[in-house]
Amino acid sequence: MEEVLYNVLGAIATFLVAFVVGMTYGGLNRKITARVQNRKGPPFYQNFIDTLKLASKKSAIHHGVMQHFGPAFLMVTSVMSLLIVPVLTHNQWFPNLNFHGDLIFLLYIMVFGPLGMALGAGQTGNPNSAIGITRGLSQMVGYEIPWVLALVALMIQYHTTSIVGLMAVQAQSGTWLMFSSPFAFIAAVMAMLGMFSYSPFDVVIAPAEIASGPASENGGKYLFTMMSSGSVFAFVKLTLYVDLFMGGADNIVILLVKTFALYMIPVLYSLTTVRYRTEQSIRWFWGWPSFFGLLAILQAVIF
Amino acid sequence: MNTIYIIFLIFLGGAVFTYFAGKIHKVLQDILFLVSILVPAYLFFANVEIGQNVNLTLGGISLSWGINYFSWLFSLIVLGLGSLAAIYAVGFMKGEKRRGYFYFNFILSIMAMTGILLSRDLVSFFVFWEIMTWSSYLITIYNGNKVQSIGIKYFVFSAIGAYAMLMAIVMVHHITGSFMIGDMIHAYPAMALSMQIWIPIMFLMAFGVKAAMMPLHVWAPGAYSNAPMAYTSVFSGALSKMGIYGMTLVLVTMVNHIPQGVWFREVLAWLGGITAVIGTLWAIQQDDAKKLLAYSSVAQLGYIITGIAIGTELAMLAGLFLAVMHALFKGTLFMVVGAIEKQTGTSNFTEVTGLIRKMPWTFLSALLAIIALAGIPPLGGFVGKWMLYESLITSNHYLLVIVIFFASTAAFLYCYKFLFGFFMGQEEKEWAHVKEAPAVMVLPMLIMALFMLVLGTFPGIILNPINHGLQALGYADSYKHLWDTSIILNSWGNKVVLQPILYSIAGIFLFFIAFLTWKGYKNTRFISTKDISSSGEVPKEDENLTFSVGFMQPFYRAVEPAMRRQIDKYYNAFADGLEATFEFLRRIYTGNGQTYAIYVIVFVVVMLLFKDFLF
Repeated sequence: MEEVLYNVLGAIATFLVAFVVGMTYGGLNRKITARVQNRKGPPFYQNFIDTLKLASKKSAIHHGVMQHFGPAFLMVTSVMSLLIVPVLTHNQWFPNLNFHGDLIFLLYIMVFGPLGMALGAGQTGNPNSAIGITRGLSQMVGYEIPWVLALVALMIQYHTTSIVGLMAVQAQSGTWLMFSSPFAFIAAVMAMLGMFSYSPFDVVIAPAEIASGPASENGGKYLFTMMSSGSVFAFVKLTLYVDLFMGGADNIVILLVKTFALYMIPVLYSLTTVRYRTEQSIRWFWGWPSFFGLLAILQAVIF
Repeated sequence: MNTIYIIFLIFLGGAVFTYFAGKIHKVLQDILFLVSILVPAYLFFANVEIGQNVNLTLGGISLSWGINYFSWLFSLIVLGLGSLAAIYAVGFMKGEKRRGYFYFNFILSIMAMTGILLSRDLVSFFVFWEIMTWSSYLITIYNGNKVQSIGIKYFVFSAIGAYAMLMAIVMVHHITGSFMIGDMIHAYPAMALSMQIWIPIMFLMAFGVKAAMMPLHVWAPGAYSNAPMAYTSVFSGALSKMGIYGMTLVLVTMVNHIPQGVWFREVLAWLGGITAVIGTLWAIQQDDAKKLLAYSSVAQLGYIITGIAIGTELAMLAGLFLAVMHALFKGTLFMVVGAIEKQTGTSNFTEVTGLIRKMPWTFLSALLAIIALAGIPPLGGFVGKWMLYESLITSNHYLLVIVIFFASTAAFLYCYKFLFGFFMGQEEKEWAHVKEAPAVMVLPMLIMALFMLVLGTFPGIILNPINHGLQALGYADSYKHLWDTSIILNSWGNKVVLQPILYSIAGIFLFFIAFLTWKGYKNTRFISTKDISSSGEVPKEDENLTFSVGFMQPFYRAVEPAMRRQIDKYYNAFADGLEATFEFLRRIYTGNGQTYAIYVIVFVVVMLLFKDFLF
């Protein structure tokens, strides 16, 4: 019983860390974008202000049961993947549910939330929500291909389907996987651009086109839950990449340095391009990223 | 008398009595129908012991019926799903025409499937196989619609399969002099190489047709969608599994024993993968829910075929587990479509929307079935997918993993389309009168949905019978080693990591539900789907905001080049070519006496002219 309690407390602590880091990164993203575009931009803590404001608001209306469930589904994905991905290499504080084969589990639980959220957004009846969701699901089929190619390459090269196993491989050999499996890293990073859906892959939100898509009928606590889920999930994705390709992190400072360096890739790339159409985006992922993914598999099979 | 005889007698007698009982009273007909499905199912599970055998001689041919663990596993699908579908069918067929015809064929096809599983000799196997084909064909054309395009196509493909099987049986009898399946398996390793290759190919063709394997799948979308939904849940859920049953037997007991067997496996595995991709892409395209599910069935059977074709222990477990799951979720989904069709009169996404508040229980079962279909944890579909990936990676099928993964990711698109198309979106006035389906239809769906939920956390409930079935086929007992090394298969599934996962998911979900609705739920007021902010403007009452036409357009645009080629077009071109040949023949054989007289004269003249050369 005591163990369960400690785990729950640890999970809450992990959640808070992920929340704060994710929110700060989001704020920094806004600041950096503004500075590149020669604006002053909001302060880096603007996202905290926004979310706190949303959390304190009351909702007056709802469209039905699924609308209540949608953001909760989204949170399940974020928190479950947070519990699966090891935050630090050696620690007692952050609990971890990981098991043999959790990479495949992660691939599937990552879809659970968006689909549940999509149902919630669907019940509002706003056509923009549904359009955004169809775009998002289509794009997901696009970037999952290079992402899975990279993961399968890692799995067959190191004979494990668990994240902890891959981290152990790096600890043993002393080389990060981004150097020993460079093609897998390239393919995975390219897929990450799609996962973050910043420009040019922001087809889901498409602010000027479909009025923020799935989130359009949500406000107050609902939007708060969605935003915090997004921040937590951003942290999870970055941590996962650090774990898989950059040897994990021993303490929180190293983790922040590595994740921030990775985070700059989608942020800076987004500043250079404008939005693709959905089918262009899908085909982009099936082009060079998948090619690198295939190279990674080839490397894994031959070496 | 042996229970196996009694089961078949009840099936046969029940079919006939049910057919005629409609003339007396409709309720009597319903009761007789239920009795003649449920009683044999009960007798089968209660009284028939595994390993039991009965022999009888009919017309000089000795027939043998018996049961082992492997066929018991499939009978679980056939009789379990069959019973639930029968209960559902009573609700579904209420007020429909020609109920006797439907019930008669329904019972016969359940009987035929049970018979296939019990057959220990090729003759009764073939006879039951044909009864199954005939009864399903007759139900497919029950509506009287599209008999030409759909019924004939199904029948032609079934006939091709049946003739292939018949030829194989004749060849086997010629070689071994016996019709017993055991003798065939026994004699197989000693046969000539050409026989060793041709006999499995013939059998696999027959089974591939029923399992809707590429390139023999073209009949499936039409036949699945044209039959009444109460039967389609059995058609797709159980009848297609007979193909899987046969394939597994051929692969494990025959092909495994020759060195060329590797090629059979590789080709089948890839055909399964390609079937999965093609089925999925076409399912995304469909606007009719029946067609969507039919293509999705083709795709799901692709995974199963891949699993059993890989043939390692884990892959077999994955394939058979997915087979059970497919029976559950596809049975449920076809029942959902049937319920919606019954209540609204259509099954087209572009017509019917926003049913979630009108049919909540149907929605709940559809939601659970869709989650299981998509393979998302914590439902049972994930367990099967997980084992399939693991087995593909460990057996070095790297590209096949990607193919399967692509299919299963793209499946999310049609999953969402199904749920959104029926239940979400704008609530139109046109459908304001719709009510929840009757309890007799909802209950079977909910039972199956519940079972899927349980299997996600306790897969051992099904994995244990599968393990016994595989042992009957000669596999080692996977309980000892496999179930320990991979977490999901760990001892019985009730002491494993899946449980904390389920609890965590439920805990997180409930916590945030509470967070969102705490105090808020009573204070918020329900508003209609017209009362939304559309770019800052409030839409008017008569404005059409339904989004259902061209639903997955962006995705379709990206994959459009891949979908231009269709195997169906080649078949149709082939059929046209045949028709042209027949047309030409018809011009020769005009049926006119004078024409024939000319032929005779021309023949004689030619003979006379060239007699020096010829004789």
